[in-house]
Parts: sequence; structure tokens; C-alpha cells
Amino acid sequence: MFRIAIKGILGRKARLILTSLAVILGTSFLAGTSVFSDTLTRTFDNLFSDVFKNVDAYVRSSQVIEADFGQEERQRIPLSLVDIVKTVPGVKNAVPDIQAFARIIGKDGKPIGSDGQGPPTFGTIGVEFEGALWTIADGEFPVGPTQVALDEASAKAGKYVLGDTVKVVAQSGSREFTLVGIASYGDVRSPGGATFALFDPATAADFLTKPGFIDAVLITGDGSVSDAKLAKAIQAALPTTDKTETLTGAEITLETQDQIGSALDFFGILLKTFSFIALGVGCFVIYNVFSISAAQRQRENALLRAIGASRSQVTRAMLIESLAVGVFGSMIGLVAGIGLSKGLSALLRALNIDIPSGGLVVTTSTVQQTVFVGTIVTVLSAILPALRAGKVPPLAAMRATALEVSEPGRKRLIGGLISIALGLAVIVMVIVGASNSYLGFGILLVFIGTIVLGPIIARPVALFLGRPAARFRGITGVMARQNSARNPKRTSRTASPVLIGVALVTAVTALAASIKGQIDDVFTQQFKGDYAISTNNRGFGGLSPSLATDIAQLPLVEGATGIGLVTAKLDGKGQYLTSIAPETIEGIWNIGLIDAAYSDLATDSIFISEKIAKKKSFTEGSTISAIFADGQSRTLTVSGIYINNEIGDYILNKGLIASTSVVTFDIGVYIKSRPGSDQKEVLASLTAAVKKYGQGDLLTKQQYIDKQSGQVNQLLGLIYGLLMLSVIISIVGIIITLLLSVFERQRELALLRAVGMTRSQVRTTVRWESVITSLLGAVMGIVLGIGLGWVIVFALKDQGLTSFKLPVTPTIVIMIMSFIVGLFAAIYPAWRATRVNILDSLNTN
Amino acid sequence: MTPQTRTVAASTLSASKVYGSGDDAVYALNDVSVEFFAGEFTAIMGPSGSGKSTLMHCIAGLDELSSGSAIIDGTDLSTMKDKALTELRREKIGFVFQSFNLVPTLTADENIRLPLMLGNDKGNEEWIQKVISTVHLNDRLTHRPSELSGGQQQRVAVARALASEPRIIFADEPTGNLDSTTGAEILTFMRKAVDDLGQTIVMVTHDPVAASYADRIIFLADGKVVNEMTEPTAEKVLDLMKTIGH
Repeated sequence: MFRIAIKGILGRKARLILTSLAVILGTSFLAGTSVFSDTLTRTFDNLFSDVFKNVDAYVRSSQVIEADFGQEERQRIPLSLVDIVKTVPGVKNAVPDIQAFARIIGKDGKPIGSDGQGPPTFGTIGVEFEGALWTIADGEFPVGPTQVALDEASAKAGKYVLGDTVKVVAQSGSREFTLVGIASYGDVRSPGGATFALFDPATAADFLTKPGFIDAVLITGDGSVSDAKLAKAIQAALPTTDKTETLTGAEITLETQDQIGSALDFFGILLKTFSFIALGVGCFVIYNVFSISAAQRQRENALLRAIGASRSQVTRAMLIESLAVGVFGSMIGLVAGIGLSKGLSALLRALNIDIPSGGLVVTTSTVQQTVFVGTIVTVLSAILPALRAGKVPPLAAMRATALEVSEPGRKRLIGGLISIALGLAVIVMVIVGASNSYLGFGILLVFIGTIVLGPIIARPVALFLGRPAARFRGITGVMARQNSARNPKRTSRTASPVLIGVALVTAVTALAASIKGQIDDVFTQQFKGDYAISTNNRGFGGLSPSLATDIAQLPLVEGATGIGLVTAKLDGKGQYLTSIAPETIEGIWNIGLIDAAYSDLATDSIFISEKIAKKKSFTEGSTISAIFADGQSRTLTVSGIYINNEIGDYILNKGLIASTSVVTFDIGVYIKSRPGSDQKEVLASLTAAVKKYGQGDLLTKQQYIDKQSGQVNQLLGLIYGLLMLSVIISIVGIIITLLLSVFERQRELALLRAVGMTRSQVRTTVRWESVITSLLGAVMGIVLGIGLGWVIVFALKDQGLTSFKLPVTPTIVIMIMSFIVGLFAAIYPAWRATRVNILDSLNTN
Repeated sequence: MTPQTRTVAASTLSASKVYGSGDDAVYALNDVSVEFFAGEFTAIMGPSGSGKSTLMHCIAGLDELSSGSAIIDGTDLSTMKDKALTELRREKIGFVFQSFNLVPTLTADENIRLPLMLGNDKGNEEWIQKVISTVHLNDRLTHRPSELSGGQQQRVAVARALASEPRIIFADEPTGNLDSTTGAEILTFMRKAVDDLGQTIVMVTHDPVAASYADRIIFLADGKVVNEMTEPTAEKVLDLMKTIGH
């Protein structure tokens, strides 16, 4: 049987290629994303192991507050520690280090680097140090309060040459410096697309952070003791009151790599999730192709059975074929995937993210995973068709027609309904109060049920969808409609990938529409001002607190208030806290305080959102302990509870932050203009004020609201992009099925051509069948997707999502797109159909 | 009827069909000139490989001649492009094949009207009803081919061939897959179509009994016309076939 299987494969190269195509597409994305993630991780690993490559010890503050998303805020240490470290025996050299927000303004007055979403913009210390990666390519290191060096790429982007005056914006405001040096970082011009402005230590501390304070001390040893001993000796020499810790070079390298790793992991998991979705969609196509090919080979298999092959031999032959297809397809998929990851890298480079050279990383595990997963998936998809092939009665060899026409049975109906019912029951349980984590299971059951029911639903729905075609396209439309319904199992298997893709797109779109609707509602209700200045540098730099005070002084402005963000430990757990100025926020933000006023927020009290109050059973008068980044602790009394938590779940008085040594910025300034003033003049005076600071975007109320929604759009774009591969696989699935159907219906086509069907009529028939199939998947997918979106929105109720918005326009767009997909997928099969040789096909018996 | 008063519905002039070239050339048709007359039932007979099917395919616009010409209703097919040929088949020719005559997804009625519908032509309803009742299909019109017997399917095929009032009907072994009783029924219908409805039929067959329903038989062997017979009977046909080495 093995030889028969191999002969079967080689004898039908076209079928081999078609089947493999689905495997290739599925595995190529898997391999591509895997290679891409590995390459990215390796790149950053190298970058960060290089940073501390020549550093033997590293001193930093031991005071740290960790908040969500792996963000941490570490306290700073005095610059004076550098001199103490230098005296420790075994230390060869020690230099201060600062990494802080600094934005270089180009010669044209525009900041260099994209705002917010792009790679970070850094200010750092540039000194001659054998442990540092920064070297001066041109000019010299900056010395004194008026000198700066820039990384090569930034200098180029800003069109700066040595001797130019460079404007830089940092936390303390903006300043002008003289460019004295062009720096390069290892072998790259600008690491990972980030921009760097380098200063001497005192200037860096003064300008970037806090005068006299630095982030860390970098140390090289003289080689007399081990790094571990050196670190210990240094730590011992430092005053315990400064609360420091000393790490070896290896330790800090590892820690940095871990941090980068976990940030990249998230990205990798996202990519992997969607590549598995694509592979799952590919499964349907593979399953479909094997089913059709088993049906088409029914007579051949029956003949084998008639001349003595056993059932299991026929089944085995088909499984061997699937194994060959799996291995063959996965290997090509692997190669295609490597090409794909190259494309992704090129894309990043086009987005101005400079990845250090070093080539793609193709690990053994990527190769194994791709080939293994691809092969397993292919063989699994072929099991049912292979078993069915084995069941062919030997007598089928004598039958004239050998088509796959079995009607969907009762078992299918019952199985599908049970799965949907169970799924709905689980979803209802979640709605009633069970944990959200069961939701995915419920949704999966509904999906499976729908797909199981597919062949039963397919016929009536396809006939319904085909009505317009039948009415307006005459006999060709009638035949297209009948063809799409003639084999409901096949039609539904072909439509299933479309269904999955469309359901996911619809659900994500519905979710996004709901979030955007919510943002619109909430901001319209809560934000009572007319203008906002926003920054994208959350948690890493921001707007200078004096911006709000300056703007409040403008004659056309009735009020302006700044809102800041600070991290602190509340009852032992790191949190983001919002800081406000109670005296100016009144009338600009309405947070929906319950029985309280902004004036109740004293410097020893805290407002909390209703959600947190419920969750942690706080009431007015409860106390919370807070530890700030500088180590200072306070006991805060809850003096107000509010409903609208858009600006955060905890709100503090800015005066409280001022009483600590924590430095904060505002993340937004909100402005109300004087009633009746000319908005043009208001805008002009605000623009001038903002320009003076060189930071933040001035937005009208509507622009501000749109910007909030815009962030949702960005995420939506990313997810759409990732779902594209599933869509491509669905299209390929339709193409393959149509081709196989055309092949199967050769005699019918020949007959039609003989009795007078023109080639263009043949094309029309195939085209409409394709459109009906595609629309079938889309309609079912939209129904499922809207349901799914509703359920997710409901589950996110706790996250503040209150109302479900039906994505009407996107739904129409999806229908139109599916229509176009159908037309597109039909191009080649329709052409093939017109090439049927009338005589040959009519004479085959 | 005398030859002088008969109208030619289709004809070939020095028709040749060659496969291969040079020494390997095989002549499926070798310089064949025949005429088929309107209102007559003509049978083409000959042993396997004699070229009888090729002759029919070439006159019917399904295949191309290597040289010579095939003419239907005064039109030379060799000059026509695919689209024009397709329209010619749809409007002027009716087909009955041995098997797989019908589109499985369409009802009997839709199958009968298929060539008309393909041409966006409503057709002559009175004629279509007459055809349907001639082949006794009135109570089977809404059935699909899978719900019809072999004989009923061939009757639908005959009705389809007649429905568009073609200039000529080509039948390729129309009874080849049927038992003799059903076969006789179909041949009777075809005979009736010629006698009562004034149609023109050309039928390829190797069955002497089937051929005996025709007005005239043309015998082919090795790509050439070797004999001709009018008012045939099965016995006469059998006798003649023995002489030409069937």
C-alpha cells in the first residue's frame, strides 16, 4: 500500500500542490512569527548585554515600586556616591548614569522621533568611560551646562552639525545647548530607533532629573578581585542611609534582558496566537481538500477494495499521503516563513526602527515546531476523510457516479445543537455571575456547534443568499445557486474558514465600536473644558507642572488644571495614582463625586473610585497606607468616592506629592476658555504658551476625544493585520474547493458548453457560486461575531464598559469585502472551467 | 421525396481530420463529403474507429476539421470563433448524448429549456408544450435527474434537443445505455419528432436495430464513406455490415 500511496501522490501533482498550499500558508505564518520574535529577542539581548558588557559592578537605589505591566519606578541616588565608590579598593573607575526623558527638537522646530508610540527618547550622561558603549565619533564629550552630544541618527534627523545650537526638552523644561559631539552606540547609529542626548553628569542630573541625583553608578574593576567580591566591597563602603544595592555586571545584564524579554514575550504571544488561529483556519482547508479528494477517488479506492485491499490499507494509503503532504508543505512553509520574517524586519526598518545587523535567528525549535505542528495538523485533518475512504464498498467501483452527496444526518443536528446549548449555558452562567474565565470555553462550544451544524444550515442559507443571483443573472445565477447548495457539507467546510475569520473581525470591531462609543460618551460627559494638552509620554516624562499654572494666567482662559500620574505602594501593592489640583479642577473635570466635593481632598486624604471601593470594601473614612517612590510613607483617609474612573481609580492632592521628594509631571492639562471669547484668539494664545515649553499637543475638546478613540483604532489595525492571514487562507480555501469542484464537474461543464453555454456564462456561474459561498461564511460569521462581541463587552462590564454598540458600517463593509473575496477567489477556477475540453470530458466514462 | 426537392440542413465538403503528421499521420476522416437533408432522420454507422463520432462532432461544431469544411444552414463552421460556435450550437443545433445528458442541479423542465435560457430566449411556449407532451413528460417536469429513470432522462434530453426548434439534432448513441424496450421508446419519439414535428435528426449508432428507425444510413469505415442505404431494416443493415467487415 505504501507504494500505491506514493504513486498516488506523484500521479496527481496538481492535487499535491493544492493540498500543500493550505499547509504551507498555515505553517509559514507560524515559522515567520517565530523567527521574527527570536530575531527581535536576540537583537535586544545583544544590545543590552552590550550595554553592561564592560561594567563589573552596578550601584542603584534599593527603593522601587512595581506597578502593573512590569513598569517600575526606582528611586534615585546622590551623585556624591560616585566619589565614595572610587575609593573602594579594586575599583578602577566609576561613572554616574542617568536614563531619563529628553526630547531633541530639530532645526525645523519639530521634535525628533514619533510622539509616544515610537521608540523612547532619552537623555543620558556622556563621559569618557571604558565600560560605556557610547563613543564619540566626531567632536568630543560634552562638558559643562551648555554642551550636548547627540547620537548620530538624531543629529542627522535634526540636520545638526557640530557647533549648532540644539534645543532639548526635558522634565525641567526646555534648554538650548551647543552641539559638541556626535556619539555612536556600539555599531549602530541609534539603538532600536531611540534618540539620545548626552550631557555631562552634573548637567544631566540638573536638567533631566533632580540636581545632585543620578540613576546608578557604573563601575569597572582593576581585576584584582572577582566581580562578586567587588560588588560586596562597594556595597559595604556605601552609607546604609542611602538605601542602595550593588549588582555585578552579569546580574544587571541578566535583569535587563529579562525585562526586555517579558516585554517582547507579550508581542510574541500575540503573534503566536494569531498564527495558531491562521493554522486552525488552515485545518479546515486541509480537511476539505482531503474530503473532496477522497470523494473523487471513491471509484479508485473501491477498485482497490474489489481487488483485495483491506479497509485499513485504503485508509493507511491516504494517511501516508497526508503525512507526505504535511512534511512537504511544512518544509516549504518554513522557508516561506523565513522570507516572511524578513519582510517584517524590512517593515520595521521602514518605520525607522534600526535593528542592529546580525541576521535572522532560525532556531532548531522553530524548525522542529513548524515541521512537527504542520505535519501533525495535516495528518489529523486527514483522519476523518481517510476513514471515510476506507469505508467505500467495493461495489462503488461499478457505479456510474461517484460523488460526495450524503445528506447531513440527525446525529450531526443533535451534536451541533447540544454543543451550542452547552456553550450558551456556560455563557449564561458567566453572565449570571460565574468567573469570566469560563467565557472562552462557552464561546468555543458555540463555535464548534455552529461549525458542526454548518452543513445543515448551509443549504437553506446558500439558497437564500443565491436568490438575487438567480433572479438577476438568469440561468447562470440559477445554476450557481444550485451548485452552492448541491453539496452542503463541502460548501459549509469551504465557508467555515471565512466564518471564523469574519466572526473574529466582527467581534473585535464590535468591541472596538463599544469602547469608542464609551470614550465618546464618557469624555463628553466628564470633560467640561474646551481644550486639552496631552502627551503620550505616560510614566516616562510628561508635561511640566508649570505649564498648567502658566496657562491659567492667560487672559482668555477661565481655568486650567493639570493632572499628573505617580506610582506608589498602596497597602503594599504598587499602583498608578492620579494627582490633581482640587482648587483648579472644579468645573473642568466632572468625576461624579458621591456626597463629596473636590475641596474634601486634603493633603492627607485620597479619593477612590466606586469600583475600587466596592471591590476592597472601602468607605469614606477608611485609611490606606501609601509608600512613595522616595520611601516616604503616609496614612491617607478616604475622603470621597467617585463614579467616573476615566482618569484613574485613585486620586491624590498634588500638594501631597509636593510634600515628598518624588518628582512628577502632568500627563494632561485641561483648559476652559472664558465664555464668549473668540476661539481663534484663545487657540492662538494657547498655541504660543505650549510652544514655549516645546512639549505636548494642544487639542480641542473634539480632537482630544478623537485621540482617545484613535488609540483603539491603532490596536484594531494591528489585530486586523494579524487576522489578514486567516483571511488569505480562507480565500485560498475557496479557490482550492472551486478548482476541485470544477474538476469534478468537467462532464457537466462540457455538456453545458455543448448545448450552448458561452465561456463568459461558465465564468459567471463559477463566480456566483464563489460569491454565495463566501457570503454564506460572512453572514454566519457576522451573526456569531456580533454575539461574541456582545458577550465580551458584557464580560468587560467590570472594566467600565457599559454599553454594546452594533458596528453597522463595518458589518456592511465586511459583507462587501466578502463579496469581493468571492469574486477574487473565482478568477482562476472560473478560467479553468472555461478550458474544459468538451469532447474529452463528454467521452470519459 | 426525390433528391432534387430536398433541402440540405448540414453538409461536409472534403472533410478531413488528421491526428499527428508525416508518416505517423492518422486519418480519422479522409476526404468525406456528405449531405444531411432537412426533415430526414439519418443514421451514421460504422465500426469503432471508423470516424463516425468525429464526423458528427465536426459538423456539430464541437470539433475542428483539419481541412475541408462543415456547413450548417449555409454557414461554414471553420471560419467561426468559439463564441459564435457556441451560439450556433445553442440556437441551431440540438444534442442527445449517450449518457450524462442532464445538469443534475436543474429540474427536468429547466433542463429542457436550458439552451433557450442560456440565450435569454423565452422560446415558443406552444411548441415546447407540444414537445413535452410528445415525449410524455408532463408529470415529471419538477423532478431532478436523480429522481428520473434512465429512459425518462433520455426523454428529457430529446425534449431539450427539440425545445429550441433547432435546424438539426445530433444524437450520439442515444440508446446505448438503455435496455431494448426503453431504447425502442426513445427511438419512436425521435421518429415522431421527424414525422410529426418536421425535425431533422442525425444519429450515430452501431446498433442495426436503432439504425433501422432512420430514413437513410451512411456507412463509414477508416474515415471514408463506404456505403449508403435508404429505407433500412435491421436485417438489411446486418447483411450490409457483414460485407463491409463490421
